[in-house]
Amino acid sequence: MTIAIHTRGLVKTFGRVRALDGLDLTVEPGEVHGFLGPNGSGKSTTIRVLLGLLRASGGSAMVLGLDPWRDAVAIHRRLAYVPGDVSLWPNLSGGETIDLLTSLRGGADPGLRARLLSDFELDPTTRGRAYSKGNRQKVALVAAFARRAELYLFDEPTSGLDPVMEEVFRREVERVRGEGATVLLSSHILSEVEQLCEKVTIVRAGKAVESGSLSELRHLTRTSFHVATGATPAELAALPGVHDVHREADRLAFDVDTDAIGPVLTALTAAGVSAMTVAPPSLEELFLRHYGDRVES
Amino acid sequence: MAVLGQQLRRDRVVLSIWIVAIAVLLAGSAAAVSSEFTGAAARAAVLQLGLATPSLLALRGIPNGDSAGSLLWFQVFAFLAVAGGLMNTFFATRHGRADEEQGRRELLAAGAIGRLAPLVATAMLGLLANLVLGVLSALGFLVAGYDGTGALVAATGLTSCGLAFLGVGMLAGELAATSRSANSIGVVAVLLAYALRGAGDALGTPHFEKLTLTPSWPSWLSPIGWAQQSFAFTENRVGPALLPLALAALAGGIAFAVHARRDLGASLLPERSGPAHAGVGLRSMLGLAARLARGALIAWAVGGVLLGALIGTLTNAVAGVAASNPQITQVLKAFAPNRQDTVGLLIGAIMLMTGMMAAAAGIQAVLRVRGDETDGRAEPLLALAVSRARWLGSALAVGLAAVAVVLVLAGIAAFAGLAASGRLSDSWRAVEQALAELPAAFTIVAAAAVLIAIVPRASILLAWLVFAAAIVIGLFGPLLTLPTGVLDTSPFSHVPSVPFTDWGPTVVLLVVDAALVALALVLVRRRELSS
Repeated sequence: MTIAIHTRGLVKTFGRVRALDGLDLTVEPGEVHGFLGPNGSGKSTTIRVLLGLLRASGGSAMVLGLDPWRDAVAIHRRLAYVPGDVSLWPNLSGGETIDLLTSLRGGADPGLRARLLSDFELDPTTRGRAYSKGNRQKVALVAAFARRAELYLFDEPTSGLDPVMEEVFRREVERVRGEGATVLLSSHILSEVEQLCEKVTIVRAGKAVESGSLSELRHLTRTSFHVATGATPAELAALPGVHDVHREADRLAFDVDTDAIGPVLTALTAAGVSAMTVAPPSLEELFLRHYGDRVES
Repeated sequence: MAVLGQQLRRDRVVLSIWIVAIAVLLAGSAAAVSSEFTGAAARAAVLQLGLATPSLLALRGIPNGDSAGSLLWFQVFAFLAVAGGLMNTFFATRHGRADEEQGRRELLAAGAIGRLAPLVATAMLGLLANLVLGVLSALGFLVAGYDGTGALVAATGLTSCGLAFLGVGMLAGELAATSRSANSIGVVAVLLAYALRGAGDALGTPHFEKLTLTPSWPSWLSPIGWAQQSFAFTENRVGPALLPLALAALAGGIAFAVHARRDLGASLLPERSGPAHAGVGLRSMLGLAARLARGALIAWAVGGVLLGALIGTLTNAVAGVAASNPQITQVLKAFAPNRQDTVGLLIGAIMLMTGMMAAAAGIQAVLRVRGDETDGRAEPLLALAVSRARWLGSALAVGLAAVAVVLVLAGIAAFAGLAASGRLSDSWRAVEQALAELPAAFTIVAAAAVLIAIVPRASILLAWLVFAAAIVIGLFGPLLTLPTGVLDTSPFSHVPSVPFTDWGPTVVLLVVDAALVALALVLVRRRELSS
């Protein structure tokens, strides 16, 4: 099977701004791939190049084995796309927009369309101008899911949705994954990617800085401990792989490298523990490490 | 006060453009009336023609004697009142329903201000704008050489009409759920006021010896009709000039009362819902383009039909007057230089204007594509199995079809009008002339598509500039005696007059049209989406 998406050294410049600066991205068929990065890191630009809406300034890009700029229409017959900021025709109702968008790639499956409208709790008779941001997003999502595709591209698809609707979205992604489709999901919401994606590419300033499965990437992070213990800060800090020990109220807080967790637990048990919380490494921390930002809360 | 300052800052450019444009229109037409029609005899001839022709009375207004002031009042007041009315209803929506729709009002209402404060600020700023407009209008009339009292009464009428529509606009903002429908209500109210007085004036009783008219009752249903009864520059009646203020108070008062009682974001008229499924017609790019162009096209087509029908009602009157007044023949000749007979002149002049209207309808349909692109609606479309050429091509096809619809309907209306006034032989000429305008209007529309393909960001501005240049050169070029080289740049300069003897220019225009269409479709393939 051909690789679903493959870019090598992708460059896109707007005037003097380098939006993409040698981006590598590989998405295998049938995988749900998270495309993570902060706002302005080049996620949307990459997707627009993959859709042939923008022309790459350098490097190469292949989508479903075809050149996205030259063979845009042939590729588009096989994919569904939901932009990050959906804008609708003010005078068309949601139902009309869904039918228009699906007709232009072959027509919606009527049963699927009806089920999606009810699952997403979307009123199709409302006019485009009267929808909220979240409902505009739902119109685009229903249009994308109402006809099967080989490849789904989602640009921050849940940015306007409430948690219940995010759950509906996750279910639909699971469904199309079950049907063998490939999904590229851009996001800066980490929990969403953690729950849905088996592979992740992290992008920053137009470059992919990290790519792999979630478990491959977790080795990069540290586990956070909050412990009420008899051990002193100095004793803990002396252990290999322990970082940033400090006191928070009646507890000690510190981070531990993944491969040093065992010895640290042994030492803690010896010193006595009356309460402990251990937070798994989250993608939040991956970001913080890559962008060198401090936690601000 | 802070709210007022903020509204003023936000609107200073748009509002200034409106006020200055209306004042310039006023001063320009005032100067034109006094320079073009010198002498009571010339003015009386024009006004006789007007009084004898209900359609002219409907379009213009009521004269009162043969003075220059009377002719000016007849010619310009209703138009100025309409322009001022639109300025006010759009203004009221910008600061009312549009603010609410986009959530700016919510931000403001959460601050330490009263519920009615934004409405009060809008009313005060509107009052200020209309007063400025009034002062500039009075100055404009004075500069053009009309007397001070008349200038003052005319400006008062204009200001009070403006305020009446400010009230109506504010009320529309309380009624409608969206700024779009608030604006529609406002525009309909202004046009209704114009049409009511038009109907009343057309059905009125003319007094030819005194060169004036007693309008029938529909005129008394319109604030523009009230203000017209002030007969500025002749009788200078202040009462009728102030009468629209009563409507301003009434409509504004209701707006305040509703606003004080309703929730933020609520409206008296609920938003209408649409169909749950798209009809077969909407399931293609052509269908989408046609649907988006539909509303505006209907308006343009109605305009075309009215202009076409005007030929029939005007012909007999103009033929009579032109025989005795060479000045009118002169003006018509400038619009349609190759003509000998008066009816032919009239057909040529009106079909030229219709052709330009048709071009505007087409440009609007094509430029909608660019609006979709900047607003982010083109992106999901172009991510479907839709090539850029099909995307632009569909809009262009609808644009060209819009041109044809407007011109063909205008031709049919002209045919019917002329046939009804017993000029069957002329009615075919009108249809042929309408069709002869097609290639020229196509050129402008296809040029707009080329602009979208090569300079997307500047395309809207440039397309309308091309249109404006074609109009100015085509309509006024002969009057201004521009050199032939300049005249030839407007496609409308190459439209032949019926009966055709030389098909050459038409064939050349059609070849140019085809080349422009091909160019647009090829070039758009090469460009990226640009926001």
